Amino acid sequence: MIILGEKSKNDPSAVLYHRCTIDLDTQTITFEDLPCRNLEDVMGGFGRSFQVLAERKIENAYCRENPLIVNTGLLTGTSVMTGLRAYFSAYSPLKQSGKGLPAAMWSAGSGNFGNKLKWTGIDEVIFENCSRSPVYAVLREGELGPLVELIPADHLLGLSGHEKIMSLQKDYSNAHFAAIGPAGENYQSVYMGAVILSTDNQLKSGEPKNRFAGRGGMGSMMGYKNLLAIVAQSSDKPGKITPAMRDVNHDVLKNGGSARFQPVSQGGGGGTWANIEVLQAFHAVPMNNFRPKGNDDVEQQFRDHVEKDFEVVSEGCYRCGIRCHNNLFNRNPDGSRGPLAAKYDFEPLILFGSNLGLYDAAQTCELIHLCDQLGMDAISLGATLSYVLDYNERHPEKPLFNGATFGQFDAIRALMEETGRGEREEIGKGVKRLSEQLGETSYAVHVKGLELPAYLPETNPGYIFAIAGGHMSMGTHMLLAKEGKCSVEEWVQVITTQGLLQVGYDMLGLCKFVGVGMGHDLIVRATREATGLEFTSAEIVAAVRRAYLRGLALELRQGFEDAEYTLPAQIIDSPNPNVTLPNFITAEFIAQLKLRVWSVFLPEMEGLLPDLD
Amino acid sequence: MQVTVKLVASFRLKWFKEATQDYPHGVEILDIVNEIGIPVNELGIVLINGHHASLKDKLQDGDTVSLMPLIGGG
Repeated sequence: MIILGEKSKNDPSAVLYHRCTIDLDTQTITFEDLPCRNLEDVMGGFGRSFQVLAERKIENAYCRENPLIVNTGLLTGTSVMTGLRAYFSAYSPLKQSGKGLPAAMWSAGSGNFGNKLKWTGIDEVIFENCSRSPVYAVLREGELGPLVELIPADHLLGLSGHEKIMSLQKDYSNAHFAAIGPAGENYQSVYMGAVILSTDNQLKSGEPKNRFAGRGGMGSMMGYKNLLAIVAQSSDKPGKITPAMRDVNHDVLKNGGSARFQPVSQGGGGGTWANIEVLQAFHAVPMNNFRPKGNDDVEQQFRDHVEKDFEVVSEGCYRCGIRCHNNLFNRNPDGSRGPLAAKYDFEPLILFGSNLGLYDAAQTCELIHLCDQLGMDAISLGATLSYVLDYNERHPEKPLFNGATFGQFDAIRALMEETGRGEREEIGKGVKRLSEQLGETSYAVHVKGLELPAYLPETNPGYIFAIAGGHMSMGTHMLLAKEGKCSVEEWVQVITTQGLLQVGYDMLGLCKFVGVGMGHDLIVRATREATGLEFTSAEIVAAVRRAYLRGLALELRQGFEDAEYTLPAQIIDSPNPNVTLPNFITAEFIAQLKLRVWSVFLPEMEGLLPDLD
Repeated sequence: MQVTVKLVASFRLKWFKEATQDYPHGVEILDIVNEIGIPVNELGIVLINGHHASLKDKLQDGDTVSLMPLIGGG
């Protein structure tokens, strides 16, 4: 980014971002420096990409006019700890309105790809059209500015994302990578393909320790465009660590928000894994397709139980001291550390564990590893598989596919493999489509076509207004457990003020695990120290709010109707008595909530989208 | 009076899982938290007999207090 010195330090138009547009069909590459239109453009991520998407009328995700936008946040590639994020945006093949129009989506991931992209001198890449044959893109820094090449990639076809990355590493030193797996290549039957991002740890160890931009099928979009990988090659250019920046990073590391993600051995909470134990205190850990049984089975997945069979190693992304990755290693017969089994984060370990009726950590590890190798979104795949198992349990006389039901590891594994290879399109296209085909939608756990993460829908009515699927775009997923909130007033307040600000992290380039509220003094200081820009807390909050509301307005423009803003019907028609948290979500509650939230949001949404007619 | 304290997740690993002890009448949850040594800024959820409570709530004989760390993320 270029900041024009003569202008005010809080004037967005003083900031220019460097865009590279790559026409994959004609192989034409153009560069331009564009002035930011508003603070959302400055912050970057989906705040900027959604303004690009809003300028296009897209009726089918798999059309040549649907761009794939890859960008970074303002603090990506700076010396602010966790400033690592890369964002992938497009109209989604997976998230679709009842009218059949694709929704705008973004997905974010860490690793070191975002940094390298930023350090090439490119802030944003727009991939237009489709390549006629498989290619990968190489973005590299040059003496006179960034250089871009498209290279034939037939030799990468069929490889897992990890294998693609390790193959490319042989040809590109000092680079990081974004790649797709077999699922993304089979985009026509897999709408939940993920983008796989390399980490330093992966490249050094050769082990598949990737991060993922999983949500919404951005890997499938890469597959549709015949773009198998992106290489970002640059020298490292982390910013200078000033005393003030050291203070910022100290606060990132020590604030209460991030402490919970740090290793147990360092006095932290041990990452998101600890959530299981807290939720189990309320019997609110998803089991058997989001229907906890009220028993103690899930305790087999508690950390100290799993540590009996595996060595748990806390590792982190590039220069991040939070070290939130819990990597499980097998033990050799002599007790020494064996090969990597899987990364054991909350969502995959629940969605490929208790929610499928599996409690053996070794089996869960194998499914996590397989999903990662195939390159699918663990949340979408896990929630769709659990629906299939549930359906089969309800219909033993006429089951789907191989008849798999809860706890049947081998049959579940087979379904996963077949889905990633493009042989089970009913699963690969997600739970909304499958449940509608079968005419049994009440226990399909999604909102607006995006499968929910590993938090029960009956604990979070905020899901209804999440614009990018679940808790990562509406920070209300733990409020019931944390605070016992259950009145309409409390939920209206939290959704319309705090919850929506969660998406600010998908603009700035920081990881959500920083754990402080957007607009917090720490965010303001980090922005000032890293960039010299002087935006106030109120300005940052207002920009994040506009970006969120623009996303909501885009949903409405793409045909989402009032009836789609709801939760799975099962939680109202058949509340689960095993969950000990208050059961407060009724049809009347949802109706009142929507009425009041829309009355706040709708007036503010006017004028946020360009008129395309 | 007797109060049962249950610790969850990292608190359980650092201190204990469950303990029943005698406390003076009128004891507040905060007193017990301080006695155990749990930093207040690491405390996420506090329950009395399964219901959400605050640190200043006073306990009765036979109560069960559950203390849980901060949680979040995905």
